Amino acid sequence: MDMFWGLLMSAILLGCTYTLVAVGFSLFFGVMDVVVFCCGDIAIFGSFAIMGAYVAMKSAGLFDSLPFVVCVALLLVIGAVFCAALGLVTYRFSIKPFQNSSELMPLLSTIAMGTIIKEILGLLFKPAVNTVSTALGGESALSVVSGRNPQGFPALLMPNGTVTERNITIIVITILILALLFLFLNRTKMGLSMQAISQNKELSLMTGINVSRIIIITFLIGGIMLAISGFLLGSYQKLMSFDDGAMYGAKGFSAAVVGGLRNTWGAVAGGMLLAFVEVFVSGYIPRGTSYASIVAFVVVVIFIVFKPEGIIGEKTAEKV
Amino acid sequence: MCSKSKLFSIFAVMFLTAGLLLVAGAAADAAVVKIGFLGPITGSDAAEGAAARNAFSLAINEANKSGEFKYKIEVIEVDDQSTENVAVAGAQEIVSDSAVVAASGFWNSGPAAASIPVFKESEIPLLIWGAIRETLTNKDNVPYITRSAPTDKQENIPLAAKVLDEFGYKDWFIVSDIGSYGDGNFNAFKAELASRKIAPLGEEQVPEDTTDLNAVAQKIKASGAKAVYCGSTVSIGSQLKRQLSDAGVKDILFCGISGMKTEDFLKIGVDAAEGALVVSPGIILEDSAKGRDFIKLYNAQGFSEPIGAYTPYAYEAALILVNALRDCGETPTAKAMTEAIPKSKTTGIMGTTTFNEIGQTENVAAYLNVVQDGVWVPLEKSEYQSGKRSFGGK
Repeated sequence: MDMFWGLLMSAILLGCTYTLVAVGFSLFFGVMDVVVFCCGDIAIFGSFAIMGAYVAMKSAGLFDSLPFVVCVALLLVIGAVFCAALGLVTYRFSIKPFQNSSELMPLLSTIAMGTIIKEILGLLFKPAVNTVSTALGGESALSVVSGRNPQGFPALLMPNGTVTERNITIIVITILILALLFLFLNRTKMGLSMQAISQNKELSLMTGINVSRIIIITFLIGGIMLAISGFLLGSYQKLMSFDDGAMYGAKGFSAAVVGGLRNTWGAVAGGMLLAFVEVFVSGYIPRGTSYASIVAFVVVVIFIVFKPEGIIGEKTAEKV
Repeated sequence: MCSKSKLFSIFAVMFLTAGLLLVAGAAADAAVVKIGFLGPITGSDAAEGAAARNAFSLAINEANKSGEFKYKIEVIEVDDQSTENVAVAGAQEIVSDSAVVAASGFWNSGPAAASIPVFKESEIPLLIWGAIRETLTNKDNVPYITRSAPTDKQENIPLAAKVLDEFGYKDWFIVSDIGSYGDGNFNAFKAELASRKIAPLGEEQVPEDTTDLNAVAQKIKASGAKAVYCGSTVSIGSQLKRQLSDAGVKDILFCGISGMKTEDFLKIGVDAAEGALVVSPGIILEDSAKGRDFIKLYNAQGFSEPIGAYTPYAYEAALILVNALRDCGETPTAKAMTEAIPKSKTTGIMGTTTFNEIGQTENVAAYLNVVQDGVWVPLEKSEYQSGKRSFGGK
């Protein structure tokens, strides 16, 4: 029974990481009708931005002079600013130019954007962070040893707490973010405008909604959410690699499709379903870890074939 | 309008210049002998690959500086990124250069296995410095393929002797990745268990890009195993050790293979990494004069990558190739090097390397390391050996 509870906790935690990336996919798809395939890479960029900022702040002695909570909040703000900016760059250069092109064009361009983000992290993280930290800290500055090696994520979440406390905090933060997102989407004018665009872009335009502005705000919010995902991923995984984004992107996208691509709660359901399948196949089938991803993607294929609208998504009739 | 004699003069000057350039180019070619180096200089195994590249180039630079050779030895560096197709492309790049007389390569067995046919077909000898899958050296590959590093089987023997015979652990859970390196180690350690009539309580092989091993950690916890063997590289090994620690599985021996002995393993944190026992090929460098000289020489270069488990092997691979070049006279060829390398006898940091009938080194050395307070320490110098600390699962 101990094993069951252990697996349950692992599945929920993994589900949280998939969910947050999947919600990013849902947000962007809902408003833009575009699959932004570099969501996973933006999240990993967020965790690297936080790691880089940590090294710089530590070198500058800020962790000694400011309260720990303030430092962590600052790191989160820095990560959010970087990811929001990256979200806007993605929109401006990878999506906007292809608005009137085939659906495949933004898909391909966001895959390309993911590769660019990944390689920029792999090539420039070390020199960029070391330059800044040396400028701030002089000889006593911390430095990143090798940018393409796995990087140890600093203990920023419950650093003195137990692993269980840290895990529960990750789950609580995920729920909190989802709740805030729900309130934003359903209780604010901006959020309702996003939903309106998601349901009918033409009608939204006719009713006076500034679609371009809403799209930009969506990318800002999506970027901030992915930065928080990166923070939680790093806190959970401890070692981050610059090329982790593709895997999280694939899992996040699959989760969003399984749940219902336009539906935020569908992303939650899809993320949890995929994580539960992976973890329990790994846990209960002998040598199951080798097959966990296969089984998870078979589930995705089954949903695409038999329930293409996803777990929570609504069926839409297309007039021909 | 130019006169005929003026035109003739212009053409004469042009031909003379072109001729001189060709002669100069040929002379420059004759004065350069090229050697290929392949390894994971970037990617998740870059800590080992980049340090190996540094050591290899260092040995070649030393040979060039010695003035012993009438030609310059140049190294063509190829980053295989621990990936088969990238490695094969890199091997093609090396063999297509006519000045190449030999190559040394690979920390990962998969890229090594994929690239071996390229070297064999081109009849360019390849000396493997770090890939340990046993089957890479065999009677079909000799004399083109030789290896100065021990095989997975040779590495697992001293580890098994320590943890099975001396420590007496009997309740095992064995884990590896499903890649070539992991699979080779998995089978090598399983054979060691089988030879002592021990059946593991559980076994798991995971895809190489797995980052979430929590389910495996829970399985290990539920199995009641007292010892875990991880036959994988640092990316899987470090995550498994950390996630075992997170799952509260601390009273257990965690041991494994040299692929984990990198500085990256320590990034999981002092507490999580504590007590990991890993076999390392070679000797304790600090304990020998030649080893200390190597450390001094390497550190004097200011490389950003510290010496890894296979760094001395890459250095020795370069020494072996330089030694073979000596036997090939003033104009070494790939054919002459193919004959010279398996017959060579090179004394380096770790003793004298000679090769057996299948091109495998006969100079096998290995020792054990343990993580103590966040750093790798040779077991025999650790508090685990002196009895101040103890491994879990006893």
